[in-house]
Amino acid sequence: MSAVLTAPAAQAWAASKSRALPLVPLVPLLLGAVALGYLALFLLLPLVAVFYEGLSRGLAFYFAAIQEPDALSAISLTLTAAAISVPLNLVFGVAAAWAIAKFDFRGKALLITLIDLPFAVSPVISGLIYALIFGLQGWFGASLADHDFKVLFAVPGIVLATVFVTFPFVARELIPLMQAQGREEEEAAASLGAGAWHILWRVTLPNVKWGLLYGVILSNARAMGEFGAVSVVSGHISGMTNTLPLHIEILYNEYNFAGAFACASLLALLALVTVVVKTVIETRYLKEERS
Amino acid sequence: MSIQVSNVSKHFGPFAAVDKVSLEVGSGELVALLGPSGSGKTTLLRMIAGLELPDSGTIVLSGEDVAGRSVQQRAVGFVFQHYALFRHMTLFENVAFGLRVRRRELRPSDADIRSRVMRLLEMVQLDRLAGRYPHQLSGGQRQRVALARALAIEPKVLLLDEPFGALDARVRKELRRWLRRLHDEIHLTSVFVTHDQEEALEVADRIAVFNKGRIEQVGAPDEVYDHPATAFVHQFLGHTNRFQGVVSRGVANISGTHVDAHEHADVAHAPAVVYVRPHDLDIVAEASNASFAATLNHTVKLGPVVRLELTRRDGGEPVEVELPRPKFAQLDLVPGGLVHLKPRRARVFIDERNSTGPARGTIDDREVPRVTPAPAPHPDAQPVVPARAA
Repeated sequence: MSAVLTAPAAQAWAASKSRALPLVPLVPLLLGAVALGYLALFLLLPLVAVFYEGLSRGLAFYFAAIQEPDALSAISLTLTAAAISVPLNLVFGVAAAWAIAKFDFRGKALLITLIDLPFAVSPVISGLIYALIFGLQGWFGASLADHDFKVLFAVPGIVLATVFVTFPFVARELIPLMQAQGREEEEAAASLGAGAWHILWRVTLPNVKWGLLYGVILSNARAMGEFGAVSVVSGHISGMTNTLPLHIEILYNEYNFAGAFACASLLALLALVTVVVKTVIETRYLKEERS
Repeated sequence: MSIQVSNVSKHFGPFAAVDKVSLEVGSGELVALLGPSGSGKTTLLRMIAGLELPDSGTIVLSGEDVAGRSVQQRAVGFVFQHYALFRHMTLFENVAFGLRVRRRELRPSDADIRSRVMRLLEMVQLDRLAGRYPHQLSGGQRQRVALARALAIEPKVLLLDEPFGALDARVRKELRRWLRRLHDEIHLTSVFVTHDQEEALEVADRIAVFNKGRIEQVGAPDEVYDHPATAFVHQFLGHTNRFQGVVSRGVANISGTHVDAHEHADVAHAPAVVYVRPHDLDIVAEASNASFAATLNHTVKLGPVVRLELTRRDGGEPVEVELPRPKFAQLDLVPGGLVHLKPRRARVFIDERNSTGPARGTIDDREVPRVTPAPAPHPDAQPVVPARAA
């Protein structure tokens, strides 16, 4: 009989859900204060510190630090790695999520586990895997060296490691969303004569566009910020194989704190932009869901 | 365009969802697949559409075996229980979808698409809402859009999977009358799945009653209701009272009460189950060998009818009777009082489980839930009583 909720009753129910919990005023105040204090201490303070340290020797030094050739090379390598790995994982993530959510096949559970693998292993291990495979002592290292193609301590290795660690973001975001949406719209499209391509472009992707964008943003943030895996395969050659996070580490180890923090502020800015874009996406998504 | 299903089976693991089912749907017919949930009716519908592949058997659509044909190639209109409208498209784009995804050489011009879509939206009385999105519509409106969308591709057959199942009772009633009228206008061969016998009885030209992956009976609504082939069909199509008895030379004997069973005239002696619908029991003034005594426990007024809940004096089993209100008022009954009940019409099935002799009008007892009186054995089933449905 619960299915026959009358309209006013349903509205009242919805209204009661959105109302705040009727607690003693002191408790929410206290909890709020604790939460905000925690946030300030562990998130806001470091963020402020990054910019404060970066600008401690003046604006001129700040801009010089991010414009010196090694820094520029690190920035461009970071952007290159992200520009290759994000589209790759976008395509892979959509394909994997589509297969997992919309079809039944053997080994599906195994595929889901494999997708989660990069989340489960330490990034350093991920880097070591590539060092093992493509290193001179590794499986393909020698034969690749014969053809004068360098993977390890070169750009391809960095891209591979980045692809590996950012592998799950898009797929993980899409799978639950697509599973929740079910297969009926796709079946309806098929019964109306639409082929797989039309179904993907006109039905499936428009339905998951916000989730997809969200996954891409997260994947991008991780690609640009990755340290561990890239550190193993990079070889730390300044101006050649250093990404931004590696460049920052080198500056820091050379006691060039202002320079390190200046470059770190770029990554912090990226994080802020990510958070803002993510929030915008979430509000738009919620608005569409609610209406 | 006709549909011929022959010997079709479908297993999900060890479970036989559809078990060697054969069914013919004539051109322009509206056929209901009726049965409890899990009885295979939706699976059969999905196999006709090509959304599911049969393990064995053949499906022929307008003379052509469609085994090798994909969903896209079968040109069937499919309407889903939960509408399955494209949520990010307007109603107009939803209905236009099937035309827009056609290959270029088969695709109508934009102006052509526009006029066809608007005509369909007019037909389902939603032309003024063409620019709205599905979430801005009520359930009944959404299902009408889904129907218009399915009709846009000019399908050879229309398949509807519990089309009114997700709607509330009043909208459901309106919509199924509307569907019947629409079918009378366009005469498109249609098959719809339902677990609601009232819906099947009201809308369909013919009904196929499903139970455990098999079809128990196919026939016109009157035929299925009045002459159920099996005990299951009788129980599934509305409320019924069940009595244990013995049948002998055309007469069923329920501990002293005699009920006509002329269809079993050649049976010398066999255990039997007698089904009497609540509205087929008369309250009579005097006891006879055709009546039995019962105590009135409780009365429930359900709109135009009154349901009496009684207990048999001899067996103690509960019995339900339904009377029109005026008749009930005349009778002046009081709770706890003695009443004589006389079955006006009964269905007698030989109880094979207890039987040793030859049997006609067979009943597979394993498949019949042993529910003695009224409520239909399946929780999904909508009772035939109007007040519950209204």
